Amino acid sequence: MKVSWFHLMPYRYLPKDFEENYRSVWVDVPSHLYDPKLGHQLYNEYLDELEHADSVGFDGICINEHHNNAYGIMPSPNITAATLTRRTSDAAIIVLGNSLALYNPPIRIAEEFAMLDCISGGRLVAGFPVGTSMDTNFAYGQNPATLRDKYYEAHDLVIKAWTEPEPFAFNGIHTQSRYVNIWPRPLQTPHPPVWIPGGGSLETWEWTARMNYVYCYLSYSGYKRGIEVMNGFWKEMENLEVDDNPYRAGFLQLVCVSETDEKAEEEYGEHVDYFYKKCLHVYEGFSEAPGYRTIKTIKAGNTKQLGAKATQARKQLSWNDYKDEGYIIAGSPKTVVNELRKASEGLRVGHLMVLLQIGSMPKDLTIKNTELFASKVMPHIQDMWNEYEDHWWPKPLANRQVAGQSISDGTLS
Amino acid sequence: MSVFETIELNIQGIKVTVRKKGEGTPLIYLHGAFGYYGWPEFLDDLSESYAVYSPIHPGFLEAEGIEKINDLYDLTLFHLDLIEELQLNKPSILGHYFGAMIGAEVAAVCSHNLDKLVMVCPAGFWIDEDPGLDYFVVPNSDIRKHLIADHLNPRFANIVPWSDDESEQDRSNLDRVKALSTVAKFLWPVPDKGLSRRIKRIKSDTLIITATEDPIVPVSHGRKCASLINNSEHHILQHCGHLAMLEDPVHFVDIIKKFIM
Repeated sequence: MKVSWFHLMPYRYLPKDFEENYRSVWVDVPSHLYDPKLGHQLYNEYLDELEHADSVGFDGICINEHHNNAYGIMPSPNITAATLTRRTSDAAIIVLGNSLALYNPPIRIAEEFAMLDCISGGRLVAGFPVGTSMDTNFAYGQNPATLRDKYYEAHDLVIKAWTEPEPFAFNGIHTQSRYVNIWPRPLQTPHPPVWIPGGGSLETWEWTARMNYVYCYLSYSGYKRGIEVMNGFWKEMENLEVDDNPYRAGFLQLVCVSETDEKAEEEYGEHVDYFYKKCLHVYEGFSEAPGYRTIKTIKAGNTKQLGAKATQARKQLSWNDYKDEGYIIAGSPKTVVNELRKASEGLRVGHLMVLLQIGSMPKDLTIKNTELFASKVMPHIQDMWNEYEDHWWPKPLANRQVAGQSISDGTLS
Repeated sequence: MSVFETIELNIQGIKVTVRKKGEGTPLIYLHGAFGYYGWPEFLDDLSESYAVYSPIHPGFLEAEGIEKINDLYDLTLFHLDLIEELQLNKPSILGHYFGAMIGAEVAAVCSHNLDKLVMVCPAGFWIDEDPGLDYFVVPNSDIRKHLIADHLNPRFANIVPWSDDESEQDRSNLDRVKALSTVAKFLWPVPDKGLSRRIKRIKSDTLIITATEDPIVPVSHGRKCASLINNSEHHILQHCGHLAMLEDPVHFVDIIKKFIM
């Protein structure tokens, strides 16, 4: 199993009474709550944490894109990824991802991802989320009625830009260009592996299978509910006569490791609370613009992860509830190994992403969580799914340049 | 209330159901984003004086085909084709909110084939200081209070009803998603799509109606609209909300009848 370290980069300094005084952590959360000096510290700590994950042996490091929010201060994942390409050496750089419909023209994504792939020596995973309704419809003003069409069209354009060696014209509804001709091309051929983060919509499953991409279920409701959703995913794969290679799927899980189960609660309890009660405090009206989810998906009865009902349900949760319901996997390394194996088997996911910096968790505790996970958990789960081949992992160059190398070995002189 | 007639049309490959009642001067009613269910009292009253045609807009309720209408230009042509297909000679258009905007777009390109235009709480305008409520973010369970001035009055319980029954709520939510995503296609994220420029071409006599208690289309939008159309008048309804025609149908119909003689 491939294990990747996922960062959301939350703003850790929301007021204590935030959820009582502000209706939403997303969209209209006023930016006067953001202190850029603390921002300077946070960005540097968070980038250190991602780089540290590479140095302690995680297979990949994951970043993402969100706007107008204190849940994750990463409006530009490609800027983040650019710093990581230079400061890490082995881990796959998993950008999960660029919300295709937000870029005009989306050719920009083809170019920037190609740059990242070249700079990193072929370590890039290209993630293409539709993006949350808060990010796409409300923060970036994209039309919910046409968002998905625009997304699919942008996807087709990016893939063609990566794979077509001659200039070509593109006559789309949302993008038109007489001369699509990106320089640079991506290093990986035909292009970097594509992962699609999703929230359980049926159309996305079908499309992901047809395109032979990885489907990543990014849920904060934990693995127990995740198993129900992923059962649906695997059933759909069977219906579509697609094989059941676990590497077709990814899942994000919150994990807290400490010396003992009791100590985990002591150390991590308040930070998990911060995450679920502040970082996911999204106003019902922003959780989903009309038309964001298709009628087919709504009729299928998939419930929303954000909004009034979800917030209400999380309000009363205690540490034990978080654990019992699978929102978090927490405890001693032994406890975490057992539960993670059970979760990964139930979900049948080959790409496990773990959130080890959670909510208000400070750097020292994040590093502790990361190191305990890397040394005492990861070695006991990485053997899973060894019998399967991961066709969706980057194929980097064997001999890659690293930052500063061209100066120190004199190649520039 | 007597039964209306149903006309099935095929416009640009889209099946359209038009409800019709009454005889005389043709009057097309284009519904808005809310309050489009059934055959309301005000349409019935109007049908005593006019041949009232009320199409269900693609995307609303069970009406399909919204994916075939890409932009505002398509939408305008779709409605011009609709009028042509109904073989109406110089009809008047009465539109509410989104329907009023469509009526104005049609009138801006085709005044010569229209008689009168009535725009009730018209969409399509933006005033920085007075933008109107962003109803797209109002949860379905809370929307009634923004649509009806006296929303607690039991007399209005049947206007955009909200039930405690969960399956009824699911059905209502689904209808809302269909309706609002259709409207959003042409109004998101800010409803100003250039109507203020085009509207100056309207030559039909135009009545603009706004309501003092409508947070969605402030009265200032009606003033702006009236100031841009040559032969226009602006009527402001007191003590009514966005669904003024359902709240006070008698008064509403009276105003329309006086305008469309």
